[in-house]
Amino acid sequence: MIPSTHVSIATRLLYREAALLDERRWDDWIALFAQHCEYWVPTWRTEAELATDPQRELSHIYYASRAGLEDRLVRIRSGRSPATTPMRRTAHCVSNIELLNAAEDRLEVRSTWANHVFDPHHRTQLVLFGWSEHRLEYGSGGWLIARKKIVLQNDQLPAMIDIYCL
Amino acid sequence: MISLAKSRIMHAMDSQYLATLVDDRLAQGVFRVHPDVYASSELFDAEQKHVFERTWIFLGLESQIAKPNDYLVTWIGRLPVLVTHAADGVRRAFFNVCRHKGTVLCRLESGNTRFHVCGYHGWAYDAAGRAVDIKDQPSGGYTEAFTRDNHDLVPLGAFASYKGLMFGSVSAQVPPLETFLGEMRFFLDLAMEQGAQGMEFVPGRIGFTYNGNWKAQLDNSSDAYHLTSTHLSFMEVQRRRADSVSGNQAARQFDWKKRFEQEGGAYTFLNGHNVIWLNQSEDTKRPVYPQIDEVRARVGDLKAEWMLRLRNLTVFPSMQIADSTSLLIRTFRPVAVDRTEMRYYCLAPIGEAAEVRQWRLRQFEDFFNVSGFATPDDTAMYEDMAVGLKAAQIGYVQGYARGIGVQTAGPDALARAAGVMPISSASGMFDLQAETWGHALYREWARLMQSGVAGEPAWPQAAGAAQ
Ligand code: FES
Ligand SMILES: [Fe+2]
Repeated sequence: MIPSTHVSIATRLLYREAALLDERRWDDWIALFAQHCEYWVPTWRTEAELATDPQRELSHIYYASRAGLEDRLVRIRSGRSPATTPMRRTAHCVSNIELLNAAEDRLEVRSTWANHVFDPHHRTQLVLFGWSEHRLEYGSGGWLIARKKIVLQNDQLPAMIDIYCL
Repeated sequence: MISLAKSRIMHAMDSQYLATLVDDRLAQGVFRVHPDVYASSELFDAEQKHVFERTWIFLGLESQIAKPNDYLVTWIGRLPVLVTHAADGVRRAFFNVCRHKGTVLCRLESGNTRFHVCGYHGWAYDAAGRAVDIKDQPSGGYTEAFTRDNHDLVPLGAFASYKGLMFGSVSAQVPPLETFLGEMRFFLDLAMEQGAQGMEFVPGRIGFTYNGNWKAQLDNSSDAYHLTSTHLSFMEVQRRRADSVSGNQAARQFDWKKRFEQEGGAYTFLNGHNVIWLNQSEDTKRPVYPQIDEVRARVGDLKAEWMLRLRNLTVFPSMQIADSTSLLIRTFRPVAVDRTEMRYYCLAPIGEAAEVRQWRLRQFEDFFNVSGFATPDDTAMYEDMAVGLKAAQIGYVQGYARGIGVQTAGPDALARAAGVMPISSASGMFDLQAETWGHALYREWARLMQSGVAGEPAWPQAAGAAQ
């Protein structure tokens, strides 16, 4: 039996993550990730098969630790990235939250996401969508994201993708 | 030269108008291109026919269809193409179109099958393109005229490979592939000879669409001039890594400050091709480096040394190899005058050590991915060009001028030492950032467009390279 408190821990954390991206509260967002967090957006190998091994196959994004995400924030805040100026506005929707595994200090969560992205420069908008798998771990900092795998279903990408588009 | 106001009201098919689009007066120190070249939808339709359907187009790697009955699906401009590897060991390229009623025959991007069966009425073709079954033919009340007719898949006009790179042409009236590639073969060798067992695409599909003209991408791969403005955010990230402020070192990325102190240059070649190069400051950061002794023994000192240089090349009109961070093949497919579909491939030695492959992947994703640190800033500029270039009132764009004053006809010392004969060479320290590579592209574009509109053959010397 998975205690309902675990479901609400997972739900709260995933909602928070989405809200912080929408509100561009980058420091609060990255604080949700453990130092050793793996962040992985696999490519599709074919129309039907996802890539399964980031060490042998291309990923859209693969970071073995939170340091990769920190690099992304440096770029976002640099003010020197044309693709980031002006910033896109987003609305992250997270639903279908399902606990796959639960232990005292460890939760495996699957969720479905859709992210609406508006580009104020070209006045265009698009939706990216897919599902995510989170591993949450409990430590001295409370519950943190220790692994996140993001499956992007519509992978004929637009002209730019950044972490806040996913 | 006719006035721009006049040019805009003239029809795109007018040869006088076409002749004004590329202002090619190098003897007077001028090379300029008209905004319509990137922004006119009339010209776009014409270039599908006169450019994309009358020259060699890169289709894929032989290693993508290594086994009998393997196939891959691709495009030449807006035309669907199927490349097969038949049981007789021969690779062939066809229009990916069923003869019955013209639907797309093969609906998956790749696979392995003995027979391609059309989803509409079930006509079946073997991997050599022969129609092997007209479903229910005996009961069909067909005439003898139908039976006599050919029902096989229609092959492209020409199909050939060079060092594992497959090319096809809609028109049969093209020179032999090796002639078309010419001096580029040396530079293609530098990519395709990095692996002792050949080269492959690392699995994983990377495709994106930008709202801009294909020529924005055509130019950008050779454009060293934009690095120090478009990619400042990447350089800031990279500086933090170089100073060990960032803990993300997996890509083993290059120190741009060191690169900017190197010598480099640009070459133009016949048939629209070009190459830019830059000497390498940190050759140990090249994924080819761990195998360089094996490579040197196999291909010789000259090629091994060139493999360590940064090189970006364009095979006109739609194939590029960038060996600047890790090794990339890029193709682009014009969909509309302001819409371009890109495919990125990570090219790597077959049988590469797992540790090197991992590093190659991280380096590639870091720089080249549209979800990475560099490419999105390029595509942002392409989309802005598509907006800006509608203003033909600005007159000719001035982006092919850097380096004209220092370029020389023929090879420079470096090319001569490599036994390569460019049409022009421009070299200097990095900050030259020559734009002379553009001359090859737009001369070839103008040549194909003008001869096409005039109803003349694209390649007067070509007898036709049969499949
Ligand atoms: S269209 Fe292919 S069988 Fe009819
Ligand atoms: Fe760039």
